[in-house]
Amino acid sequence: MPDMKATVREWLDTGKVDLFLGYKQVEGHPLPYAFDRDNLEELQDLMESPARYPLEKLGAGILAVQPNLKIGILGRDCNRRALNVLAVHQQITPGQIEVLELKCCPSPLHKHADCSSLEPRTYGPVKLEVGIDNSMPTARMEQFDQRTRFDKWLYEFQKCLKCYGCRDICPVCFCKECSLEHADLVETGGVPPEVPLFHLIRAVHMAGRCIDCGLCEDACPVDIPLRLLYRKVNEIVKDLFGYETGLSLEQPPLSILGECAPGVTGSHGAAV
Amino acid sequence: MYKLVPSVCSYCGTGCGVLFEVLDGRILGTLPLKTHPVNEGKLCIKGWNLHEYVNSFMRLQAPRVRINGRLHQVTWDRAIQFAADRLKKVIAEHGPDSVGVLASAKITNEENYLLQKFARAAVGTNNVDHCARL
Repeated sequence: MPDMKATVREWLDTGKVDLFLGYKQVEGHPLPYAFDRDNLEELQDLMESPARYPLEKLGAGILAVQPNLKIGILGRDCNRRALNVLAVHQQITPGQIEVLELKCCPSPLHKHADCSSLEPRTYGPVKLEVGIDNSMPTARMEQFDQRTRFDKWLYEFQKCLKCYGCRDICPVCFCKECSLEHADLVETGGVPPEVPLFHLIRAVHMAGRCIDCGLCEDACPVDIPLRLLYRKVNEIVKDLFGYETGLSLEQPPLSILGECAPGVTGSHGAAV
Repeated sequence: MYKLVPSVCSYCGTGCGVLFEVLDGRILGTLPLKTHPVNEGKLCIKGWNLHEYVNSFMRLQAPRVRINGRLHQVTWDRAIQFAADRLKKVIAEHGPDSVGVLASAKITNEENYLLQKFARAAVGTNNVDHCARL
C-alpha cells in the first residue's frame, strides 16, 4: 500500500504528528513500531499486521510521560472508538492521537486483522456442551433458561487464572487503582478468583466503556467469552440510556452523578 | 526513543514470547507477543508483570558476599573466588557428594550442559537436579 506510506511521510514531514505507531516485521514477527522524523527511510517497511495490538493504549502511555507529543496510529474502527472513550475519560485530549484508518471487513480483496468478530474460532465438544461458544450472539445465549445460562457462565468463569490479561490488554482500562485488586471487593490470594464476582465487577465497569475490540478475549489463556459478556452489558446500556459507546464524545450515563441519569423514565427513575 | 522489544519470558521454562515497551531506555510495560508460537498472544500473571522486577528498587545489581553475618558488595572476581574457596573447603571436609547442583529452565541447553559437566568433572558428584522439579 504505497498510499499509506506516503500519508505517514506527509504527516511526519508537515509536523501533523511527531511519532507514528504502525507495524513492521521485526525478527519474523509483525510488531508495533514507532516511526518518526529520524527514521523516515524505515517507512518503506511500514505494514498492516494481522496481529492486533492496542496501539492507542501504547500511544496514551507515551503521552502520559511526554504530554506534548502528537502521535499518529494505524487503526481500525475499534481503535477510533477506543480513542473516543479515552478522551471522554480525560486520558487524552481529543486530536492528540490521529488515526490512519484501515478497513477491517473480511474480503478476499483486502487483508484484515485476526479478529474473533470477523473469523470466529471453532471450539471442542466439551466447551460447546458445558460452556459457551464464544462466537454466539447475545440473543442465542438468552434462549437458554436461566439455570443453564448461569451454569454455563460459572463453568467459563471458574477456569480463570487471574492473570489480569483482560484488563492489562484493554485499551480503555487505565485506572491507577483497580477494583479487581481491591482486597475489600475481591478476596486475594486464591485461584480461581471469587466466581462470579471478579468477572461481574469487570463487566459492570465495562458498561458504557467497552468498545468491543475483542482484545480481552484474544488475551485470555482459558477462552472465557468476555466479548460476549461485555456485548450484553453494553446492549443494556444502549437499551436503557440510548448510549452507544465510543461513537461520540458524550459522557457515558454511568459516569453522571445524581438521582438518575438523563433520559431514564419509568420504574428505573423519575422522569427528568 | 520509543520501541517495542521482543523477548522471552524469564520466569519459567515454557518460554512465552513477550514484548517490552521501552521509552527512552526505560521499560514501561510488558505485552504478550501475539504471533509467538508458544503462547499465541497469551500470558500468565507473572509474564504480564515482567517489567516490574527489572525496575524494582530491590533488585540486586552487583554480587554480594556475607562476611561476619553482613552482606558486602564485592566485585565478580572476588565473589567467584569466595564461592570457589568455600566449595573446595566443603568438598575437602565432607566429600564431593555433600555438594548438589540445581540446573535451570531459564538458561540455555549449552549452559545446562556446562553445569552438569562442572558437577561431575570438577566437583565429582552425580547430585544434579533441575529447577523445573522443585
